Amino acid sequence: MSKDLNHNICEETRFASVFSAHAKNLHNFLYYKFGANFNPKDKVQDAFIKLWENCSKVKPSKAKSYLYKIANNMMLNEAAHQKVVLKYKQQKQQRHTNENPEFLMEEAQYNEKLQKAIANLSEAQRSAFLLNRIEGKKHREIAEILGISVKAVEKRIYGALKKLRAEIEHL
Amino acid sequence: MTREALIKKWLDNALDAKETEAFKKLGDYEQLTKLSESLKQFKAPEYNTSEELKRVLSQLNSKKKKKRSSTLKQLVKIAAIIVLGFSVVYYSSTLDTTLTTDYAEHTTIELPDASWVTLNAKSELTYNKHNWNKQREISLRGEAYFKVSNGASFNVKTASGTVTVIGTEFNVKQRRNIFEVTCYEGSVKVVYQDKNSILNSGDNFSILDGKLIAKEKETAPSPSWLNNESYFKSMPLNFVLNEFERQFELNFDTKDINVAQLFTGSFTHKDVHLALKSITLPLNLKYSIKDNTIVLTRE
Repeated sequence: MSKDLNHNICEETRFASVFSAHAKNLHNFLYYKFGANFNPKDKVQDAFIKLWENCSKVKPSKAKSYLYKIANNMMLNEAAHQKVVLKYKQQKQQRHTNENPEFLMEEAQYNEKLQKAIANLSEAQRSAFLLNRIEGKKHREIAEILGISVKAVEKRIYGALKKLRAEIEHL
Repeated sequence: MTREALIKKWLDNALDAKETEAFKKLGDYEQLTKLSESLKQFKAPEYNTSEELKRVLSQLNSKKKKKRSSTLKQLVKIAAIIVLGFSVVYYSSTLDTTLTTDYAEHTTIELPDASWVTLNAKSELTYNKHNWNKQREISLRGEAYFKVSNGASFNVKTASGTVTVIGTEFNVKQRRNIFEVTCYEGSVKVVYQDKNSILNSGDNFSILDGKLIAKEKETAPSPSWLNNESYFKSMPLNFVLNEFERQFELNFDTKDINVAQLFTGSFTHKDVHLALKSITLPLNLKYSIKDNTIVLTRE
């Protein structure tokens, strides 16, 4: 706390270190939660600009939750009730050109199903699950990012896995 | 370890060697790893933290500049408002000041040079505060009594003529068909139809229906109306009644009487009945009041 009084985020070096610590996680969180359609990179920028403008009011210890709240709200305003779209890359298939066309088609179908299933997850499930599966974050790290308990993270991720598998089979 | 516990541990990337073996033996091991592998294709686009930091910092810098220019804009706005405010004040100070009185109303004001004017009922006076030091000039419609402090020439302009004075007390009356100037102190010059007349203390200059009327010296120290009384000497009755109407906001019906007859006397401004009696008794007239109209008849 005493640290808070001496260092506010209005110093540029201080600001830069806050940025380095949180920007990437914030970006990935926004991406997995809301999808690619709403420019998560710009939202990160805007959130940090807001933080800078209010740097004297926001304590460093509260900076992270401030950023997530701002960015999340901006996203919600824009994304309101639109379907989440995550893009998947095709490069992987290109590496295996020796695989037969049937396999490639199956693979493409599988990916499409997976995409739909991901979109059907709840925002809470999706952000936790993909941070874990894609970014390789430990449950504890995710709990820190989302500001929830490890148990809750575990529940979300396992729930997401179950739901995904059920949907893929079903589709 | 149960299947679920095993999967949960796998999800947390926390399986040890033995647990990994057990996990591999699960019936849905292949499905899970395939799902997990496929998911990696949905990876978020690369986020280059240092690039993004540069971007945000440059944006912040341009914002600062914008802020600075907006404070400049603010200053310009404030300056414009101040200039506008001053010009409005200046403009309004150059405007003429107008003072009007209604029926039965007298008003006294002090002019910028400590001269005093008292306005009789139903009169209007206009002068310019801003120009006063250069030119002491007043436009008058109606009747007013002036106490002029010493100084440059003091002009009272009326539709009938101009009165010029140098420090004095005088009364100017300009009503329909009547233009009357009485000097109570000092001297006044009256310009009427290109003719100049100099009035000294107690002198009177009267034009009735375009004709110059000779009058006796005025002995009163100030006009009677200042004391809420109107005094007339050998004045045609219609002029008297006009003055009465101005003091009481009433109308006269004079069909039955001769309004050209002369009246000498005064009436008070404070009591209608007393005032009416002051006029009707000496002339042998009767009056009756209907609404706002007073009907005068011969006795």
